[in-house]
Amino acid sequence: MAEPAIVLRDVTQVFPGRGAAREVIALEGVSLAVAAQEFVALVGPSGCGKSTVLNLVAGLWPPTRGEVRCTGRPVTGVNTRVGYMTQKDTLLPWRTTLANVGIALELKTRRATGWDRDRISRYIELVGLEGFEHHYPSQLSGGMRRRVALARTLIYEPETLLMDEPFGALDAQLKLVMQAELLRIWGETRNTVVFVTHDLGEAIALADRVVIFTGRPGQVKAVQPVDLPRPRDVFSIRFTPRYAELYEKLWGLLQTEVTKGESL
Amino acid sequence: MRASRRPIGETTWAVLACQLGLVVVVLGAWQLASGRLVKPLWISRPTDIFAQLWEWVAEGSLWPHLVTTLTEMLIGFVIGSALGIVAGLVLGVLPAVATILNPLLTGLYAMPKVALAPLFILLFGIDLASKVALVAVTVFFLVFLNTMSGIREVDQDLADSLRLMGATGGEVFRKVMVPSAAIWVFNGLRISVRYALTAAVYGEIIASNQGVGFLVSYSKNALDTAGTFAALTVLALLGLAFTLLVARAETSSLKWKI
Repeated sequence: MAEPAIVLRDVTQVFPGRGAAREVIALEGVSLAVAAQEFVALVGPSGCGKSTVLNLVAGLWPPTRGEVRCTGRPVTGVNTRVGYMTQKDTLLPWRTTLANVGIALELKTRRATGWDRDRISRYIELVGLEGFEHHYPSQLSGGMRRRVALARTLIYEPETLLMDEPFGALDAQLKLVMQAELLRIWGETRNTVVFVTHDLGEAIALADRVVIFTGRPGQVKAVQPVDLPRPRDVFSIRFTPRYAELYEKLWGLLQTEVTKGESL
Repeated sequence: MRASRRPIGETTWAVLACQLGLVVVVLGAWQLASGRLVKPLWISRPTDIFAQLWEWVAEGSLWPHLVTTLTEMLIGFVIGSALGIVAGLVLGVLPAVATILNPLLTGLYAMPKVALAPLFILLFGIDLASKVALVAVTVFFLVFLNTMSGIREVDQDLADSLRLMGATGGEVFRKVMVPSAAIWVFNGLRISVRYALTAAVYGEIIASNQGVGFLVSYSKNALDTAGTFAALTVLALLGLAFTLLVARAETSSLKWKI
């Protein structure tokens, strides 16, 4: 059997204290495997190290202990095999939509000109931004900027997508729209997705499996397969009995962690 | 979408009429006061000043002075800003070196650069070179410090996101650091233009035989108040022209800032 796309083996992450700040144990003994083409959501209270998991897979720094592997190889440096969509806007403000999406190809082909205009247009279309090719990020709404970021992450067709609360800053309606878009696109591309969110409903609606993290230090508390049929409709799925059942079960697990964190 | 900001002072016909009226009132009061309330030797009078200006323009005697001042500014500005950008980029990516040089640089920056004028005249003579040096030094520090801050202020998340897409160190520098610092560089250049004019004119006032600054000091020495005011008017117009030019360059080059 092929190795899972992403493997974390007994990973511990300690951030050393600096001056008066105490050292922080972000993750402790986390083991996790994500199969190829699987959509996994990580849920947990704030500060439980969910984003740290993504940063480790992206290779931004090595774990204090344990091993991180991605598509069969250990992650030893910046991992360019993943597409990482961060919580924060990382669009280049001096580039238009076209140039922001194109930068991924520009870096891949090592050429400033002659990028594949058709391919860029296709991805801009995929995220529904036709007509906004020549707008700068400051001229776009929050939702549109997220779409540009999504297109930029998808265009170089990474096998693995890391998404850190990608729709966290959007309003409730727009969030639903973006979730539906993401599922539609994922239905076509079938990347492996690790999706960090603090919204349990979002996790259940999107993922094949939901991983619940404990509060700090982050440990895997439970892993729940989501057996809702695909393709899913993120709007109506919330009214199905199975969704409610899963929500109740997972919320029970999550609630103790969230309240524990608050009482600290 | 964000609506584009409305400029603060939109020029309508009514505003224009008011501005024109104000000029007429001020010049009228000046004209009437001169000779009646204050000696013309002290404040001259608008008609004399315009007559002097007209004479300079008609004779063509103003142009060599104007060309001299502009040449000093231009050469000094180009040298100072080029060196400033390069030094700022280099020290921006080498923070250790910047830390070592910090006391020296801060000291030099804090020193009023015009105080160097006598030294430069001693070193480079009273012609073009001494003023070019003064302008270059003035511009250098402003552009240098702005460029360095620009590189330091670069959003590390932007750099990381590009590295994840496979960018090399050089590509991160070219595609993130440099454009991101551009707005700071531009800011430095914008401020510098005014100081470049100041430096050139000050150098000319200290010692020279040509330039608009020379015209000011020469007219003063000849007790020609109208000539002094006329030269000052030329400097005001010059400063205004540069301000407008810079504003235009900024809007066209930093479109994305909105």
